Amino acid sequence: MTARPVSARSFSRLGKAGILVLAGLFFVLPFAAMTRFALQNVQVIDLGWSTLFDKWSLDVFTNAFGNDFFLDSLVMSTKIAIGTVLLTLLLLVPTAVWVHLKLPRARAFVEFLTVLPYVIPAIGLVAGIIVVKPHVRWFISSDLSLIPFYVVLALPFTYRAIDTGLQSIDLKTLTEAARNLGAGWFRTLFTVIAPNLRSAIIASTFLTIAVVLGEFTIADVLLKRTFPAFMAEYRQSDPRGGYALAVLALGLTTLLFIVLAQLTRPRRRIDSIGTNTPRKT
Amino acid sequence: MASAVSLPPNAGTPARAGVPVRRTSGRTWIGLVPFVAFLVLFLLVPAISVFRQALRDPDGSFGTRAFFEAIRGQNFEAFRFSITFSIGAALVGVVFGTLVAYAAHSVERPRAVKQLVTSFSGVAANMGGVPLAFMFLSLLGRQGILTKILDHFGWDLYAGDFGLGEVSGLVTIYSYFNIPLMILVILPAIEGSKSSWREACSSLGGNTFTYWRRIGLPVLMPSILGGFLLLFANSFSAYATAAQVTDNSKIVPLRIGFFLGGDVSIGEDAVGYALSAWMIIVMAVAMLLYWQLRRRSERWLQ
Repeated sequence: MTARPVSARSFSRLGKAGILVLAGLFFVLPFAAMTRFALQNVQVIDLGWSTLFDKWSLDVFTNAFGNDFFLDSLVMSTKIAIGTVLLTLLLLVPTAVWVHLKLPRARAFVEFLTVLPYVIPAIGLVAGIIVVKPHVRWFISSDLSLIPFYVVLALPFTYRAIDTGLQSIDLKTLTEAARNLGAGWFRTLFTVIAPNLRSAIIASTFLTIAVVLGEFTIADVLLKRTFPAFMAEYRQSDPRGGYALAVLALGLTTLLFIVLAQLTRPRRRIDSIGTNTPRKT
Repeated sequence: MASAVSLPPNAGTPARAGVPVRRTSGRTWIGLVPFVAFLVLFLLVPAISVFRQALRDPDGSFGTRAFFEAIRGQNFEAFRFSITFSIGAALVGVVFGTLVAYAAHSVERPRAVKQLVTSFSGVAANMGGVPLAFMFLSLLGRQGILTKILDHFGWDLYAGDFGLGEVSGLVTIYSYFNIPLMILVILPAIEGSKSSWREACSSLGGNTFTYWRRIGLPVLMPSILGGFLLLFANSFSAYATAAQVTDNSKIVPLRIGFFLGGDVSIGEDAVGYALSAWMIIVMAVAMLLYWQLRRRSERWLQ
């Protein structure tokens, strides 16, 4: 009888390890498969023990980089990312500060507004953009018109990051001290509050960049050749090249999140449900 | 959630003239105007326009023809297919996400396992779009590497009705972001379960089964149901990934994209907007329920 609980425990430990290993395989294998296709020029049919390490090369990257639209799409996505980050911060930081300082009553209301993009997914939003397009053709025809919509798509993550940051500082004392020393609102916001929100601002910046680098739906329907749209299009003509670009994009995004975790470590923790809950586009 | 920062009492600070520290007056709402105006312009106006177009007859007057056309025939099939695989994907995500979260939580060594699972979930839950589809195309596509390996061992994956654009394939692909998302949702609830509950249960004569049936699962239930709804909504509205693995328009987001693409006759485009309207309705119902459940689950995590 005494032996039974022990064996049951070691069995359940084995089970847990098994689950974790299986999960690990599920998440690693697809990426490994894509990397192989991108970097190895051997048909699957010819793959075997003898050819397992044959013909690795980086020429897919040089081919893709040489494509006329590669640089254009990268430049466009970079411009959009910068614009989206700036607009997000300019819009959200003052609003969140205002809510914390003067309108704590409105917190639930503002939070509700910031999660509305969950309810209206990208494909629903772009349907609306198509409806209003004839009235504002001059605006939508510009590639940079994607910026405000990407601000909207990133809103659930970015507002949450800034809101959490504001909760962790003594905003009221900071503001009153700055005001008593004669600083105006503008100065208070930029030289006192913003530096104290460093990690929240970094977090929302990176989350915004991740959204811009990943968004496909709106760009696809509006026929804007952003980097993700180029990636999808490029695979049609060169599958290996498409996979290579995807490896690059995933590597970049993962790197972004690792840097983010490092920069914001002391204060960052998974709090309640819904932290970082993403939307799919 | 109450603010974590305790506000200093007003009594100690001599309020300067012009710095309102009293109750909110109507004027203070002005600070929200830029933000609200932005959302109205770039989110609400498009969303409302969708409904206006959906509720319009070919002659431009108000009518519900397109609105109900969007849930008939092929469109109905699209909704049925989308809802079916979204439920499947949510179920798989809930079960495996909970299992992995529980395993990661209770594995003591190596310590780094839990940290790794949490960090990775944060990244993978945000995964989606084009690269995700590419990963599974190269693993399980017709020329995929695992497909070929299985074929070598005599299992022809594509002999049956498997396909990356079918229920089986979409559930597999979407698990890549659904499982991590579920881990993020359920882990706080699992960690919030106190070991004293388990001790109380066993000192009252309960075994492991009793614990899970009477305490563990009921406490986790709001998080599990909430996670299910979140995962469902997530799968239901995904466009980018699906667009890479299937070009048929039998799932709702792709069908909307097809109608928006403009290859349809005048008057028919209203059906596209009606599909969008129905999709927003489905999302709204799922998310409303999710928020209700989330509030309930937060009660246990105080």
